[in-house]
Amino acid sequence: MNSCAKPRKRSDAMRRSVLYWIGALCLCLSLTAGAEGKNLPPPQDYGVTIMGAPGEQRVLPAVRFDHWLHRAFYTCRLCHVDLGFAMTRNGTGVKADMNAQGLYCGACHDGQRVHGNRAIFAACRTSIRPEAAAECNRCHSVGIPVKRMYDYDSFTRKLPKQKTGLVDWEKAEEQGFIRPSDILRGVSVVRPRMIPQGDFIINSRGLWMTDIIFSHKKHADWNGCEVCHPDIFPSVKKGTVRYSMFQIAEGEYCGLCHDRVAFPLVECQKCHVKSTPHPGKGVEGAASRP
Amino acid sequence: MNIRLHISVLVTALTAALFLMESPLPSHDTVSARAVAYAQDSWQKEFDDICSKTQDAMLFNVEELRNLIARCDALKPRIEKLEASERKVATKKLSVCRDLYEFVREAKEKK
Amino acid sequence: MRLKIFLSIILVLTLTGAALGQTGVKKKRPLPADFGRVVLNDHAAKAGLAPVVFDHWSHRSWFTCRVCHVDLTFGMKTGSTGVSAADNMKGFYCGACHNGKMSFQGRKVFESCAAKDPADGTKRCDRCHSLGKQVRRDYDFATYTARFPKERFGNGIDWEKAEDEGYIKPVDVLEGTSTPRKSLSIQKDFALGAKLAGMPDIIFSHKKHTVWNGCELCHPEIFAGVTKGTTKYSMVDIFEGRYCGACHTTVAFPLLDCQRCHTRPVQTGGGKGAQ
Repeated sequence: MNSCAKPRKRSDAMRRSVLYWIGALCLCLSLTAGAEGKNLPPPQDYGVTIMGAPGEQRVLPAVRFDHWLHRAFYTCRLCHVDLGFAMTRNGTGVKADMNAQGLYCGACHDGQRVHGNRAIFAACRTSIRPEAAAECNRCHSVGIPVKRMYDYDSFTRKLPKQKTGLVDWEKAEEQGFIRPSDILRGVSVVRPRMIPQGDFIINSRGLWMTDIIFSHKKHADWNGCEVCHPDIFPSVKKGTVRYSMFQIAEGEYCGLCHDRVAFPLVECQKCHVKSTPHPGKGVEGAASRP
Repeated sequence: MNIRLHISVLVTALTAALFLMESPLPSHDTVSARAVAYAQDSWQKEFDDICSKTQDAMLFNVEELRNLIARCDALKPRIEKLEASERKVATKKLSVCRDLYEFVREAKEKK
Repeated sequence: MRLKIFLSIILVLTLTGAALGQTGVKKKRPLPADFGRVVLNDHAAKAGLAPVVFDHWSHRSWFTCRVCHVDLTFGMKTGSTGVSAADNMKGFYCGACHNGKMSFQGRKVFESCAAKDPADGTKRCDRCHSLGKQVRRDYDFATYTARFPKERFGNGIDWEKAEDEGYIKPVDVLEGTSTPRKSLSIQKDFALGAKLAGMPDIIFSHKKHTVWNGCELCHPEIFAGVTKGTTKYSMVDIFEGRYCGACHTTVAFPLLDCQRCHTRPVQTGGGKGAQ
């Protein structure tokens, strides 16, 4: 689908514009589809975040953070709201002294907080014996082969998978394989639960795609309200903020999570459902097509 | 010489001296400094009297509020004669106070 | 040809447009010590000095909002005041306290914008004109607020509780500057109905606000409508720094914490109960 021939002869404007839009469609599809996940990294590398600005002067190698392990233990909300982690590379600006003070990674990685039956290793202690400097490599591991405590394959062997081979985290929780914790003692401030809004229909702009049913409940279970509102989705009235698949593919709006950590955009049908029910039957909003 | 003449000359001289000390020949700095001092004292007092009541604005009736607003308006020309920095601050303070009374007056009239 | 160019422009704009916009991305959350920081550059750059960095947290533990924003007439928006060194030297704005004479906690408050550097050889201006400089401050946030009751977001401090429990005692009157006032006749709390179905209603407490702000700070500059319901505003206005957002985007607890305001459970099958 990559070679979209242009007309050799200039004919009328209508034909040109139609062909031009076909070209735009090619672009869109190549951005989002690829061919059956050909553009995706291997499952153990999906969701990896390198912390630190590219090309920055460093004493230690950059930190390689694998989302897959932490998301099995904790909700997105815990790190991105309670601990204040940003959602783009180098957006947080974590430094060693912040960790040592108990902020960011240091909120758990303090050598004392217990997880399972072990104390979580301390990150970025302020003074390290020179012979123990290699401990830093446990996280500061870009470019260095590091043996990790949890191996991806053995950890995820029994977890349900998506078509792309990535873990289906939603099913994993439903089936009881994972039980992400939403509260960090001493850090989280617990508020009364707010009732999430009902599911609603987002009308697809492209005539070739079906509408989306957006489930607030599924998102709020892991994100609470504050991950998305008001920064990513400031609109309180549906339809106020308009965005397109181009922006999503660029990593904005839905694309802030999906295509980076949450299931990738190549899985169109996870959002663009086959058919949308009539409004009033558990969803709000009008279907654009019957 | 006559003692009475000495005394009257002395008294006249003293009176003249006192008079001159009280209001010397105008020099720019002295007059303006004093003018400022006087103005400062009086406008500040008037301002404090008007604007110390903002906490109770809701308790006044419309007539009382109109009165306070009128007093603010009367104070404005005096503030405009102040030196630049003081004028900037005093103008803002007065407008904040006046606007509040105006706000409350409007609320009461609309009820 | 022109149509193709037009469509190309539209395509490119769509791709790049939102990169410049405010929505769709997660804003960087400032660290607790950095929340409430404002950079003041009314005249600094013109005078060849670094802009002033003002952290609200220390001053708000000592003074009510009203002392600075009403009695000293500091503006609520950066750049709206127009403070100059001359103003400070004459005892206005910062200079009302930072004059080398006022006593505070057993010490003299350092002079701002004086004509000479202090005797100890420090560069006087840098203490406040510190953007881009490493300046040692008298008070360290973590140490100063260590025992204060905590909340989430913003400074991470529950300032209200901190005052209730006596950790801070903000002063409401500045001798020689503040207009002497009686205590306030309290306005009642009232409910503001949330527009979005399912969001809890807001209980607005006038008392909590007037204790620190008085009346003039909000009325009429921020809230001009005299009757409840006349001024229509939405969360979008608030996120953009208007109305409640005048304080609750930068200094007071941030809007990220929805449930600090949206506290009242939604009444099911009935009107949203007002006052």
